[in-house]
Amino acid sequence: MKHSLILGAVAAIGLAAGAASANTLEDVKAKGHLQCGVATGVPGFAFTDADGEWQGFDVAVCRAVAAAIFGDPKAVKFTPTTGKTRFTALASGEVDMLARNTTWTFSRDTDLGFDFVGVNYYDGQGFMVRKDLGVTSAKELDGATVCIQTGTTTELNLADFFRTNGMSYEPVPIETNAEARQKYLAGACDVYTTDASGLAATRSTFEDPKAHVILPEIISKEPLGPLVRHGDNEWGDLVRWTLNALIIAEEKGITAANVEEMAKGTNDPEVNRLLGAEGEYGKMIGLGKDWAVNAIKAGGNYGEIFARYIGEETPVGLARGLNAQWTQGGLLYAPPFR
Amino acid sequence: MTNTAIDTSNMVVSDEVAVEIVNMNKWYGEFHVLRDINLTVNRGERIVICGPSGSGKSTLIRCINRLEEHQKGKIVVDGIELTSDLKNIDKIRSEVGMVFQHFNLFPHLTILENCTLAPIWVRKTPRREAEEIAMHFLEKVKIPDQAHKYPGQLSGGQQQRVAIARALCMKPRIMLFDEPTSALDPEMIKEVLDTMIELAQEGMTMLCVTHEMGFARQVANRVIFMDQGQIVEQNEPEEFFLNPQSERTKLFLSQILGH
Amino acid sequence: MSNAKSVAFVATKMIPPSPPPSGSVGPIHWAREHLFPTPLNALLTLVSIAFVLWLTPEIIRWAFIDAVWKAGSLAECREIARAAGVEGSFACWAVINERFNQFMFGFYPSELYWRPILAFALLLVALAPVLFAHLPRKMLIFSAVYPFLAYWLIWGDSLWAPLSAMAGFAVAYAAFRALSGGVVQLGLAAAAAAAGLAAVLWWLFAASSAAEAMQAVLPLSIEHVESAKLGGFLLALILGVSGIAMSLPLGILLALGRKSDLPVLKGICVAFIEFIRGVPLITLLFVASTLLNYFLPPGTSFDLILRVVIMVTLFAAAYMAEVIRGGLAALPQGQYEAAAALGLDYWKSMRLVILPQALKISIPGIVNTFIGLFKDTTLVSVIGLLDPVGIIAPMRADSNWNGIVWEFYGFVALFFFIFCFGMSRYSMYLEGKLKTDHR
Ligand SMILES: Nc1ncnc2c1ncn2[C@@H]1O[C@H](COP(=O)(O)OP(=O)(O)OP(=O)(O)O)[C@@H](O)[C@H]1O
Ligand SMILES: N[C@@H](CCC(=O)N[C@@H](CS)C(=O)NCC(=O)O)C(=O)O
Ligand SMILES: [Mg+2]
Repeated sequence: MKHSLILGAVAAIGLAAGAASANTLEDVKAKGHLQCGVATGVPGFAFTDADGEWQGFDVAVCRAVAAAIFGDPKAVKFTPTTGKTRFTALASGEVDMLARNTTWTFSRDTDLGFDFVGVNYYDGQGFMVRKDLGVTSAKELDGATVCIQTGTTTELNLADFFRTNGMSYEPVPIETNAEARQKYLAGACDVYTTDASGLAATRSTFEDPKAHVILPEIISKEPLGPLVRHGDNEWGDLVRWTLNALIIAEEKGITAANVEEMAKGTNDPEVNRLLGAEGEYGKMIGLGKDWAVNAIKAGGNYGEIFARYIGEETPVGLARGLNAQWTQGGLLYAPPFR
Repeated sequence: MTNTAIDTSNMVVSDEVAVEIVNMNKWYGEFHVLRDINLTVNRGERIVICGPSGSGKSTLIRCINRLEEHQKGKIVVDGIELTSDLKNIDKIRSEVGMVFQHFNLFPHLTILENCTLAPIWVRKTPRREAEEIAMHFLEKVKIPDQAHKYPGQLSGGQQQRVAIARALCMKPRIMLFDEPTSALDPEMIKEVLDTMIELAQEGMTMLCVTHEMGFARQVANRVIFMDQGQIVEQNEPEEFFLNPQSERTKLFLSQILGH
Repeated sequence: MSNAKSVAFVATKMIPPSPPPSGSVGPIHWAREHLFPTPLNALLTLVSIAFVLWLTPEIIRWAFIDAVWKAGSLAECREIARAAGVEGSFACWAVINERFNQFMFGFYPSELYWRPILAFALLLVALAPVLFAHLPRKMLIFSAVYPFLAYWLIWGDSLWAPLSAMAGFAVAYAAFRALSGGVVQLGLAAAAAAAGLAAVLWWLFAASSAAEAMQAVLPLSIEHVESAKLGGFLLALILGVSGIAMSLPLGILLALGRKSDLPVLKGICVAFIEFIRGVPLITLLFVASTLLNYFLPPGTSFDLILRVVIMVTLFAAAYMAEVIRGGLAALPQGQYEAAAALGLDYWKSMRLVILPQALKISIPGIVNTFIGLFKDTTLVSVIGLLDPVGIIAPMRADSNWNGIVWEFYGFVALFFFIFCFGMSRYSMYLEGKLKTDHR
């Protein structure tokens, strides 16, 4: 009820906004910085470091876009948004784009008036339980109490999963990841369910992570990606291709360290086109020749960003899995740059 | 009450008119509270108004400084007619002092500050001078040593005397009293009445709502009896008390003097 | 009168005073009277004491004895604690240590920390004469200038901007002087309105160009710090102090307006108060943060903090108005009449007689509203402003510290407690000081 009210309001606002700001790129250039909506705090994806700088896997997308436009990864300001405020903030023009674990769904793309420009993390919903419960499969969860974040896709998936398997559960509704963590550890629920990346990140912070297991079942598709307002296709293209540039860079072995070098010219015409050594591709999205060089220099290619913030070497410790390049058996498949 | 002989040498009534009320009527909603009031008060006159409760005495004197608004007729105070012109109203109010039944001192200010407030802010008297004037009148009402206390620390009689001093500090040309003693214990009534008598002796124009008939006899030169919103009878005090004309006056006097 | 003989009595000597019997004074008596008067009360006392005794050592152990003060991450904290043989939970204050500056200033540039610190120190100077009546009244001049000075210190940029904003008041005063001329009562209201209009016109059209012109002639500016960099307690104080400072006068005007005889004015005030009170603060904040964008002409950049300050002020002012209206209603009619009878006009009688008393009666309610407002500033975290509560989430998401909860919230709670407790003690001091009636 509450949920649909909010969605309705957001949709109405989205309609009104479509007309309001027609040329986001020009507005952004005039402002001198990009305004990027991020999560209020998800380990590995969006957080502040000791110097008060925003960091994270999602934040890196914002920085890459800022660098592509201004040549400066710091020309971006962040607006922390919660699961509930994220769509209003984007629709109203408070932020220029949103890069915070948001699942690309039909109604968000169409009815709410947004455009998802791609996927930066293929996720899926999982379950975490205490090891001593002896549960090995989600199919054994009949009658369990489940901690679940309201207003998310996970809430709906959960209901679907239990219904199709003829099981019952008792939901414990919560607002944020942090609240879920406390409730779960305090035993207020047997199971915590959210995006598997979130589960891994959360488990990594437990005193004794080994006492908890993430069950093998992944019950949904959660493609998380950046989104922009519907109606300004040029702006959408710019964000889409910045993300693609990072993915292509990994595929082609372009890194933050060697990008300057490679920009001088290589044997690979696609790399040359991307890095501006050949053709005038930057112009097509209203940017300079070296836009992709700047975007890659900002935080490295997709793989570098992944490894730095959420990879296996980090406390979050996620394997590439579905997020490997298509050449490695993953789903990352950027369209050709030509 | 006070039966000592009083000095009447200053108590002369001039021909100059201080307050003139012509055919004045007032309603509270549908209720006709004052009916065809005609009253002329000359400078130096001391008028006592009496009458049963609810007869409109308070309303009448409150109309004179427009704490209440009249709807018909005319009131002229000190040559200025009372209309809705705010400027005139404030002017008249600063010339007309008023003393209330419940003193209405300002509890958050000291006695001295109560007395200097209006002179400083309305008359623009310098503070120094205002304080000197205030001390003068506080001495007159015989409580100079309480100047730095707060009203809550004074007895009722003392508070009422401060209220009189406060009004006098504005150097008013007319003083209105609305039952100044009826909230007081008997011993305090005397100290307040003495102060009022002294004031009368100095020739102040006074309109007094009171049931202190001793006071009326001693200082009033006219007593007005009101009932049901109209002036029923007025006369010099001796005649009024000894020889009332109207039946209602007789009944009223028999009730208040009866015991 | 009948048996007058038998009741006649004359005292033959005066009885000297003697000390009270033991058992009716002293600590034992006090304890019996206050702690164990009845079996039920005795039981309650014992249970409460037991509860406190059980809880306090645990808290002290958690927060002090077993706590870790210096570490680089939660994992390191745990290592240190285990090495020291701590079992069970303990406080890892290292995180507050590391993020202290963020809690204080948000993302304010660290080399400029002296500016907000100076602004805070000057705030104390500016508040002193307002809070303590025995300080020289001349200090109030500084208090009046302070808001502009603080704005300049915190946001920086050209000094001419706040100066020209201040000049708006000078413009209003000059216009008022020129237009009022005599002491015409109606003329006064009109002159005041015209003066207000002049000031608004100045602010809208002349102020910024005047500032630019002056800046061109005599550049006087310090480094600009944008609103997005403000956060933590600095932000909470900016919102709280400006909301408190502005909501009181606005609340007074609304309360007077609500009691006014002019139907239009009264209607506006009633509608405003009822509307604001009927809407949750969080809604107003959402309006400020997102919906306002739709109503403003495109391209206007209207600082988010400014918008929030306005909303918070309006919200508190509506409550303030009702608190003050209660105070006004509690005053006897005689006070209004006595003031009028002395010839004081409306504004003077309000300022000198009615409001001092009404405000005094309302002190507990006013301070209550202040405290509520100050705590409500934490709601801005939902619109993405990083106040002390909002700034916790991104800190906690840092992999180094993820998992810490109590330390963050405990620290913020302590901060709010100190300020709110201070306000409540001050209000008690003030009540005692202003108690002049029944001594
Ligand atoms: N504000 C008012 N609204 C309506 N009726 C009023 C109001 N004030 C007074 N009255 C009525 O007007 C009448 C006259 O009141 P007023 O106070 O003048 O009487 P009074 O002669 O002074 O009586 P008392 O001796 O009891 O003071 C009374 O019947 C009273 O109920
Ligand atoms: N992907 C889902 C769920 C996203 C979700 O709930 N993510 C959590 C973290 S795993 C979150 O964003 N939390 C933000 C917060 O706690 O502030 C959606 O888009 O609805
Ligand atoms: Mg009366």
